Amino acid sequence: MLTLYNARSIITMNESLPRASAVLVRDGMIIEVGEPERMEPWLRHEEYVVDDRFAEQVICPGFIDPHLHPSMAAVLLPMEFITAMRWKLPWGEVQPVTDSDGFDERMAALSDMKGVGEPLFIWGYHQLWHGPMSRARIETVTGDKPTVVWHRSFHEVYMNAAAMDMIGVVAAEIKPGMQIDIERGWFFEGGLGYAISRLNPWILAPEQYAAGLQRLKQVVHSGGHTTIGDLATGMFNLTAEAEALSQHLEGDDVPFRTRLVAHGTVLTKGGVPPQQGPELAEALLQRNSHRLHFGRHIKLFSDGAFFSQLAQLQAPGYIDGHHGEWLSTPEVLEQHIRSYWYAGYQIHVHVTGDLGLQLTLDILQKMQEEKPRFNHGFTLEHFGFSTPEQIRQIKALGAQVSANVYYLHELSDSYTQSGIGYERASQMARLGSCFKAGINTTVHSDFTMAPAEPLNSMWVAVNRINHVGDVMGLTEAISPEQALQAITLNAAHVLGMADITGSIRAGKRADFTVLDDDPLTCDPLCLRDINIAATVFEGKVFPLV
Amino acid sequence: MMQMSPQTPITLIGGYLGAGKTTFINKLLNSGRLPSRTAVLVNDFGDINVDEHLIRSGSKSDQVIGLANGCVCCSIADDLTAALEALKSSVIERVLLECSGVAEPQKARLQCHYPGYYPHASVVLVDALNHAQRCTDKYVGALVSAQVKQADLIVMSKSSANPDFQLNILLPSVDADAEDAVEIVLGWQGTNDSAETGFGDRAPKFFTETWRCQESLSAEKLIQRLDALPASVHRVKGFVATNAGIVEIQRVGTDMQITPWQSLSRPDHLGLVFISHTAENLALLGWAD
Repeated sequence: MLTLYNARSIITMNESLPRASAVLVRDGMIIEVGEPERMEPWLRHEEYVVDDRFAEQVICPGFIDPHLHPSMAAVLLPMEFITAMRWKLPWGEVQPVTDSDGFDERMAALSDMKGVGEPLFIWGYHQLWHGPMSRARIETVTGDKPTVVWHRSFHEVYMNAAAMDMIGVVAAEIKPGMQIDIERGWFFEGGLGYAISRLNPWILAPEQYAAGLQRLKQVVHSGGHTTIGDLATGMFNLTAEAEALSQHLEGDDVPFRTRLVAHGTVLTKGGVPPQQGPELAEALLQRNSHRLHFGRHIKLFSDGAFFSQLAQLQAPGYIDGHHGEWLSTPEVLEQHIRSYWYAGYQIHVHVTGDLGLQLTLDILQKMQEEKPRFNHGFTLEHFGFSTPEQIRQIKALGAQVSANVYYLHELSDSYTQSGIGYERASQMARLGSCFKAGINTTVHSDFTMAPAEPLNSMWVAVNRINHVGDVMGLTEAISPEQALQAITLNAAHVLGMADITGSIRAGKRADFTVLDDDPLTCDPLCLRDINIAATVFEGKVFPLV
Repeated sequence: MMQMSPQTPITLIGGYLGAGKTTFINKLLNSGRLPSRTAVLVNDFGDINVDEHLIRSGSKSDQVIGLANGCVCCSIADDLTAALEALKSSVIERVLLECSGVAEPQKARLQCHYPGYYPHASVVLVDALNHAQRCTDKYVGALVSAQVKQADLIVMSKSSANPDFQLNILLPSVDADAEDAVEIVLGWQGTNDSAETGFGDRAPKFFTETWRCQESLSAEKLIQRLDALPASVHRVKGFVATNAGIVEIQRVGTDMQITPWQSLSRPDHLGLVFISHTAENLALLGWAD
């Protein structure tokens, strides 16, 4: 049976036929896209129905987020959000809360909604907006209801006395010098590990984790995605994660597919030589199912977390003179890259600072000299800071870029003030240069580092507006066409799935995102507010209310 | 479960990749001198080798190897919290912790302020053959320099391959191949004003003091003062300006070497570091100014 979908317009992302008004689908595959009258030859031979439900809407290729973390999201999403930035979530939009009174009011309201004895977990606190946090402050708001307040960065947590009792924090064990301030109920750095080990029965409880994955499924759907990349499968526990994912992200009710990219250093942890990595990665392919695919992809890491100012920077570095950190020694990173490079893998490397990027490019250069490869897909993930010279190197070495463009929105103002200064802060996510150089470039959320809303990523990439409303580095802005390409076809290339998705053309899977407005002709400032009416995954319609 | 001591000291063993951490840890494990109830935590068992006759239980595949005297060697595979929690169920009186090659001792120390534990000392391995070059590396130069600056005790490896190598810093140091290297690391108490730890009562203890002196001394007087040091002073090392020019002092036991400083540039730090068996302060040694 054929289905003919009519639309106000279809944006195909196929340069040979950029626009159309109808698409013909059979068994989840696109049979033809174009004008309905030209589809007659198909319709003469087979039964068909005409589906006009999208007649007033715009059909785009299904959106793709090529880098997020379902396992991390499963831990976070059961929590309540109180955040300084807007978060659109399927169960309601979280309005920004940017002062301490607002934080306490919202905390009080959430506390009232919880049953007696039911703990309250909050995520999103940041001292810059919400003022100093303490156990006493939490207690004036939520009293003896166990309350846990996570910092936005996830690197600190505050608790009231009831929460500390609940998880079994023994005050007598806490000595001065530890990174725990028991008076303030504050756990950070080393103290955080202690808190997490005791919070685990709550945050990693199987039913909680399952509920978190169900919420993630909703988030991914409502963001308009039909394909995502899990860019570090195994970050907590490879077997447990793979099993939970196959339980919750496989099945007819799941409106997207997931490219699973294993966490390379976890794969060989415990002293397994990096040379054995590809063999272990190869074994993962046996776990593949219809929606969940390990491919010959691997994730590796260069420098530290961007949100924590641990990116490794070239001179002149950070204003306060601190240094970033390496996630492994350069020698070890090179060993891992070499072993997967020789095995023919597509390698994704987490790079945040321009020094972390340079190290990775220098290693890639060495690999190209040792064993030249074409179309290798080597991908630079996150891509916080870079230099114009590095853009040329990326191009020359045949690498691609997957950027977290949201850094620019949330951090460019504070990094101007207390990070790296205006010049470099305004040039985070140097996307315009990447497109000009012809580098395959996509954007991602790294969810939960940024909202899993491709239209929001598009909005930042096109407008380069930070959270205080300043336009940062406009010369690095990209056009709406380029941005839409970034969240569809280019992302499909990065995940090694451009043969099946990423654009609308005969032969590809029928993966669509249906919008109420046209993202290429609307006011660019309205991009992130376009309503997503539905997604279509392999021909099946999943409406969004 | 038996009661463990309320606070277990952790000795961190750091240093960049290839600086000789694993070799040194193998030496510790096989020395037969680990005080009873010591836990040695290593990142992974990859290159760890324990003589079979020393193993009481477990094997490399178990992540935990039991040794004599209630000692254990555990692989932590990047989860220090889990390892420290797991140790609480056994009777452990001290911990030796192998840091990752990219760890900075200061940050790693903070991780050791874990309930039930405290950081006792940071021992950093320095590779005499490659250290100078690594310090100029554009990627890890800053890290490798910071590792040394943040150390309490330096253990110098591969010095036989580069005998002339000197660290331009006033820090207590011992050669990894020296006979007493294991003893010094295990008996390390740090400076004499720090609280003495409860461990290793049977083993020798080592304290350290640093004497800084920018002024020029009479060479003759300097030698007299060094000769007068009590036998409890185990090692002396450093650079002193004298009327005969800058000299390098190296004294192990009563064996003293005084060599004129050859390089054109003056050492950045002038003074001496003492490692002694007793917690005598400089005034008692006659070195207060």
